[in-house]
Amino acid sequence: MIWVETIINGVLYGGLYGLLGVGLALIVGVMRVVNLSHGEFMVLSAFIGVSLVGALPWLHPLALLVPVALIVFVLGFGLQAVLINRVVTRPDPFAAILLTFGVAVVMRNLMVEVYGADPRHLPAGQLAHASAGIAGLHIGVLPLLILVLAIVLFTALQLILTRTRFGRIVRATADHRDVVRLMGVNPGRVYNVVMGLSLALASIAGMLLAIRASFTPYSGVDRLLIAFEVVVLGGLGTFWGAMLGGITLGVAELVGLKLDPNAGPLYAHLLFLAGVLMRPNGLFRGRG
Amino acid sequence: MTLLEVRGLDAFYGDFQALFGLTLHVEAGETVALIGANGAGKTTFLKCLVGLTSTKRGEIRFAGEPVAAEPAERISRLGLTLVPEGRLLFPSLSVEENLLMGALNRRPGSWTLARVFELFPILRERRRQRPDALSGGQQHMVAIGRALMSNPKLLLCDEISLGLAPVVVDQIYESLSHIRAEGASIVLVEQDVKRASSAADRVYCLLKGRVTLDGPRGLGLDRLSRAYFGT
Repeated sequence: MIWVETIINGVLYGGLYGLLGVGLALIVGVMRVVNLSHGEFMVLSAFIGVSLVGALPWLHPLALLVPVALIVFVLGFGLQAVLINRVVTRPDPFAAILLTFGVAVVMRNLMVEVYGADPRHLPAGQLAHASAGIAGLHIGVLPLLILVLAIVLFTALQLILTRTRFGRIVRATADHRDVVRLMGVNPGRVYNVVMGLSLALASIAGMLLAIRASFTPYSGVDRLLIAFEVVVLGGLGTFWGAMLGGITLGVAELVGLKLDPNAGPLYAHLLFLAGVLMRPNGLFRGRG
Repeated sequence: MTLLEVRGLDAFYGDFQALFGLTLHVEAGETVALIGANGAGKTTFLKCLVGLTSTKRGEIRFAGEPVAAEPAERISRLGLTLVPEGRLLFPSLSVEENLLMGALNRRPGSWTLARVFELFPILRERRRQRPDALSGGQQHMVAIGRALMSNPKLLLCDEISLGLAPVVVDQIYESLSHIRAEGASIVLVEQDVKRASSAADRVYCLLKGRVTLDGPRGLGLDRLSRAYFGT
């Protein structure tokens, strides 16, 4: 029974991991760029959340998800418009990746400067520890909410990309960014919105992670690592793959912790390594 | 009325110069064939016109406006569009979605999704499929249809018969006459000299980045081949 509980909690935790990776998968899929500042934006979102909680203590942190996501959307839009669009069309993809690395380093140090290096966390009151007994199992209410939220966001993203005019433009731009210009589309503007969306999703994941565990300005690297593993495990650029990749990692981590309480995320990383060796195109993507 | 006027156009790829002082014009309603061997600069020239090649100098006027310095997304809105070599359809989009991409710049005119399906009825049947499930000829139809959806004043076609069976090429050329009937001007870039020169009102021949011939339809193969090979 205790194992069933562990696996269910792993699945719930994995929904959060999927959310962590999906924004990164979006950028990889559309721009062929790995955004190395993805983790820093998650941490920044959590700091913005902490500041807002301080300013508006009567507000529940979950109510802050939307305003923080909006703020980070604007930041992502601006980052792309001002910096990344300058290099993203170069034939050498390293230029854009190095640029995002630089952004990550600057952001990390700015956050140390502004917020200090002490660990913080987002208080969620009762909700953080509430659990529901379902069929004799103890399931955390917050993790359940997070999984539901992750599924809602994944579905919304999928619908936007497949059913709307904007989604059509995004997919076409990902296919041939020169050809869409013949149809009057400015690829840079598409990238701005996509980066905004990617980081807005990251901000939600960042806030939720900050409710679960404490963070410092240096936590971005860990978050990026998980996001990266989720994306690679799921198959680069696929969204439901990222979700399943996240769940796989979440289960591996919690099962690993049960077997060996000092392991931390070690077993998730080992699973990732094994996954990449056996299915280099992702666990959930067809051959090729 | 002169729709397109190009004067003294030079284009470069790094240190390599691809076009040398190209001068050429297309009248409204006219179909012009641009022939030339591989590497003559035909594709480069088309890319200069639509704004996809930025290392160029010279004058390009389209519908009276200077466009040499304009970005591709602006030029397309003026009604100048390209059916690119190799079709370059969007593989992640269905046939219908590919066609709808062409309508994004919302130019008014007679070409709509329904009219494109009338021109190429097979595309209506295949509208939900991905382009790579289609035959080569059908993919060309999607590429042409996508360009038509923007209701261009001037349609540039880069090698639209390449790799197709002769009977399919006939169909494609047949569709061009319908497109002309709607009032669009056409520039046909072709390696098939005979077919291009019989479909066009005028023929330009390019050799190593220079115009070697500007003549009416029905020039003897003899003169065409001299311009083509530079002998």
